[in-house]
Amino acid sequence: MTATTVERPSATTPQPSPSGPGFGAVLRSEWLKLSTVRSTWWTLAATFVLGAGLTVLICWGNAEWLASGDADESPGSFITWGMMFAQITAVILGALAVTTEYSTGMIRSSLAAVPARGKVLAAKSLVVTVVLFVVGTLTALAGWAGGNWFLDREGIGIALEGDMLRAVLGGGLFVAGIGLFSVAVGFLLRHTAATISVVLALMLILGNMANLVPGTFGEWLVKLMPGNAGSAVSMVVPFNPTLLDPWTGFGVFALETGALLALAHVLLRRRDA
Amino acid sequence: MIRAHALTKRFPDKDGDRVAVDGIDFVVEPGRVTGFLGPNGAGKSTTMRMILGLDAPTSGTVSVNGHRYAAARAPLREIGALLDAHAIHPGRSARDHLRWMAASNGIPTTRVGEVLELVGLESVAGQRAGKFSLGMGQRLGIAAAMLGDPPVVVLDEPVNGLDPEGIRWVRTFARQLADEGRTVFISSHLMSEMSLMADHLVVIGRGRILADCSMAEFMSDHAASYVRVKAPALTEVGRLLQARDAEVEMVASGTGRGSELRVTGLDAPAIGEAVAAQGLVLHELTLVRSSLEDAFMALTADSVEFHASTAALEGAGR
Repeated sequence: MTATTVERPSATTPQPSPSGPGFGAVLRSEWLKLSTVRSTWWTLAATFVLGAGLTVLICWGNAEWLASGDADESPGSFITWGMMFAQITAVILGALAVTTEYSTGMIRSSLAAVPARGKVLAAKSLVVTVVLFVVGTLTALAGWAGGNWFLDREGIGIALEGDMLRAVLGGGLFVAGIGLFSVAVGFLLRHTAATISVVLALMLILGNMANLVPGTFGEWLVKLMPGNAGSAVSMVVPFNPTLLDPWTGFGVFALETGALLALAHVLLRRRDA
Repeated sequence: MIRAHALTKRFPDKDGDRVAVDGIDFVVEPGRVTGFLGPNGAGKSTTMRMILGLDAPTSGTVSVNGHRYAAARAPLREIGALLDAHAIHPGRSARDHLRWMAASNGIPTTRVGEVLELVGLESVAGQRAGKFSLGMGQRLGIAAAMLGDPPVVVLDEPVNGLDPEGIRWVRTFARQLADEGRTVFISSHLMSEMSLMADHLVVIGRGRILADCSMAEFMSDHAASYVRVKAPALTEVGRLLQARDAEVEMVASGTGRGSELRVTGLDAPAIGEAVAAQGLVLHELTLVRSSLEDAFMALTADSVEFHASTAALEGAGR
């Protein structure tokens, strides 16, 4: 070992600190990752077009019937109808943001650049959540604006206040929440198809199948399934009156997502990349 | 500088643990190209992933510039790595790939243009990386490694799948980095490539260090040489040389016609003089040094995970 080997590191490298790159830098890099692939923009466009478009379409088709005396459903069930599809695209976006890193091997570039893995998880989660909240809320708002135009013509319009306002904001919140839920599952399963299937099955299929479980246990299982608990906040009128209240339900869903993220964090730190 | 101490990695397996890296010690010094040589499955990539904190060692330590890699404030400024040319999203452009990496370590965006120029990818920087050839992908990986202008550069199998021009480029590039005083650590299972690139060798087989020495030392210690002799009266010449304490082996000639002698223990001038003194005729007198490839084969013969039969290896060697 010569003198130069001793001098070089201290002369050219910054002093080590246990913190690694700053969170702001990691956040910026995660935003760049998300915004520089086409799939993100396609998925977000699909979220808006399906979420708002289908709501408008179904309001246009049903406004007359809803205003007539034959209607056995409330206009409130229709004004957020398309958000169901926005939730599916949100699952895809959240999953892809994580699992393409594993399928392409890019996760090794990511974790070599930012060895503090918790920061990668946190920054990715935050970026996905904020983007989906903004797009989800705009989608719900556009769906309300378009759908309500037809309802209004029949005299059954819903003002943007009270439960309707809560449902628009809740639409954004649930879309963001379900995307974050998918991010967590993505880090756990590290596989695109598996992640999307598991989340959709949990939200759409198992949430309904829980109804088959008898007794009080079954009743609570239905209430606590993430899709059932979290979605009430995004609806003006609950599709199932036995479900938890909108905000209580969303709180439960947030806790479930948080628990899953905590587990993802532990495994991300422990596993070899 | 990279320093590994008693570095060990075991992977859980059905029948107990499989040891990938078995308590190795080595130091990679700055200012030279250190080749990390070993057959496939020897533990090279695992070692490199442990250097970068991607795999956690089962025991032992590895440090970069005197501290654990994960402790670095801006890791890309400490060590640049090419681990896998495909550690890139195929849908993202080369420039965008470098942009997110730069952002993560607070490296100014202007540096992205610089490294693209460095590897000659400026003209295709806006193209999606999925459309890149293997060689272009490798260049992009090297550009990423150079983003932080790091004093330590680690390249895992950088010439794998490259065309001759690409191989030459990597070789020149690695040389240049070492000449600038950087620590350069390059893994390969291609011995011939290493002999042209590395100053120093760390040879690994079945997770253990088999040699850690300069290229010259490695050649003189492990690469045997002999003198090839062809003559009309081969048997007579052979006896003559044996009488002078040379070790002589008669083998079928490489060209398939006739035989030749492989003589060790007596150099070419001595052989020529001895033969001339007896008035015999020589058709060929050549000093043959076995290549690094042969030396490596000889050294790792016992440590290759999956190897062909010895006969097949020898047949393929020459």
